[in-house]
Amino acid sequence: MSQLDLSDVNKSFGGIKAVIRVSFRVPSGSIFGLIGPNGAGKTTVFNLVTGVYRADEGSIRLDGVDIVAKKPAQIAAAGVARTFQNIRLFSQMSVIDNVLVACETKRRSGLEGALLRSASFLDEEKMLRAKALELLDVFELGRLANEPSTSLSYGDQRRLEIARAMMLGPKLLLLDEPAAGMNYAEAEGLKKQIRWLRERFDLTVVLVEHNMQVVMSVCEEIHVLDHGETIAHGRPDEIRQHPKVLAAYLGESA
Amino acid sequence: MRETLRSAGWVLATLVVLLGLEFGLQALVPDSSIRQLLMLAAIYVMVSVSLNVINGMAGQFSIGHAGFVGIGAYTSAIVASHLHASSTLSPGPDGASFAHSWLLVPLSVGAGAVVASMFGLLVGLPSLRLRGDYLAIVTLGFAEIFRLLIASAQVDATAGLSHAVASLGGQNGYAGADNQGVPLFAGPFWVFGAAILMTFATWRIKFSGWGRALRALREDEIAAASVGVDPTRYKVISFVLAAFGAGIAGGLWATMRDGLGLVQPDQFNFQFSFDAITMVILGGSGSVTGAVLGALFVTFTVKLIELVQGVEAVKALQHANPWLDLNALRMVIYAAVLIALMILRPEGLLGERELLGPRREVAS
Repeated sequence: MSQLDLSDVNKSFGGIKAVIRVSFRVPSGSIFGLIGPNGAGKTTVFNLVTGVYRADEGSIRLDGVDIVAKKPAQIAAAGVARTFQNIRLFSQMSVIDNVLVACETKRRSGLEGALLRSASFLDEEKMLRAKALELLDVFELGRLANEPSTSLSYGDQRRLEIARAMMLGPKLLLLDEPAAGMNYAEAEGLKKQIRWLRERFDLTVVLVEHNMQVVMSVCEEIHVLDHGETIAHGRPDEIRQHPKVLAAYLGESA
Repeated sequence: MRETLRSAGWVLATLVVLLGLEFGLQALVPDSSIRQLLMLAAIYVMVSVSLNVINGMAGQFSIGHAGFVGIGAYTSAIVASHLHASSTLSPGPDGASFAHSWLLVPLSVGAGAVVASMFGLLVGLPSLRLRGDYLAIVTLGFAEIFRLLIASAQVDATAGLSHAVASLGGQNGYAGADNQGVPLFAGPFWVFGAAILMTFATWRIKFSGWGRALRALREDEIAAASVGVDPTRYKVISFVLAAFGAGIAGGLWATMRDGLGLVQPDQFNFQFSFDAITMVILGGSGSVTGAVLGALFVTFTVKLIELVQGVEAVKALQHANPWLDLNALRMVIYAAVLIALMILRPEGLLGERELLGPRREVAS
């Protein structure tokens, strides 16, 4: 579990202000929703938190430690895992290899271990492989472990991305539209999996999602962005009736 | 336990074969030019296999591998000739004995590898910021600067850096400190042994978590970084490893038995880097056994064309048609093979697969 704090975060791309003075706190152990219409800046916030972009101003703290200047791999090693809006799997690699890539930060045996095939290297490889298979089973992908990742269905690819993120052993999980392209039954399953993940792995989860049914039922707290600015923050029942949120989603007259 | 015994058996068998070659190659292959070609093939295998680490496995496009090979060659030649000259290490009048080579080869070739890998670090660092063609230009620039620096040295310079560079012999090449030729004590044992060891080492790197991470990085850098694979670290270490391997190849090239005893800057021109890239792409980028196949193909095709040039009938034909320059034709054949291959097998002979052994990572 990790607490994430954003305070007065700004980010512009040329003349476009993508994120404007955004501040919010994701409480440790919560499932937190980040929503807003298209172009609101949600994915940009994820990219700022994970170090893909660097914030122009403001601070982003993970358990009190500022991570603004850190590189993506360092932030990942610090326990922040994510999935991507437009699935980014390693398409030429097998399902289990996709997951295994995420354990390199944890690996203790170095290159010399791999060269000499030392006993500790082999044991570790075996242990990591078992752990990866276990995770794949959680997402019902165990039987597909040796298939190429491109052969998976869309929903399975999304789940594989989550499995890969979980292999990192994160304390904070950022899910970018995990329900996109899923049918009703799959989305229901996803809701259960997100709750289950949080309990099982002591996670804090931040969810960017357009499927309101998913967001409203799993999130405990929701932050709403529009054109890069915060327009609302609160519990699902508050957000559902918030006039600004309704206006942003449905138009001014609402 | 059985596994251990089996690997020990393989190691022993390889050592026996290598020792057999060390002492028996001369009797087995009396023609020294053929011996030289066989050793050269092993050198090319090392060049190709090491370049494969950076171009194939890490997906960085380096077109200056000749530079690292050259630095290894010059460094080893210098160290070797000085060791040779020092009386305590002098192998005596009848050339280097095998026992002596155990001291001389690791020291001189090791020095070449270490210096080359330091330059690998130097060139690897910009690879963090540069991609694709820009990185290619940097690597090419590095290799050409190295070559031209030595080739264009002022032979009459008396002091300072230019004197030091000039002592490498300029365009004519370096033939040892005393100008008596670089001592050639790296026998078949070392040359073939190093080629086998390097192939084996890159194989193990490929089929480890490290190789997996490199592969992920090549496919999607952002996704790989998001699960903790630091692109900087992996790319730079790849460059250093590739340069280390190239340094070994260069060092053995400079000091191999039946070699020329002369290290010339033109050995390490762009043509050589290009040959190395051809080997890797021909065999299949990322495939270790593919890199070996590619190297063998390139070595023997080139030499075959050279041999054909020596045949009387071809000589006569060439005499009748002065435009028929087989050396130039070599490039045409190359190009034809490459184009055909890119059409028929865009991923190279083997793609990323291997000739034998595991399809996947470490069998558990």
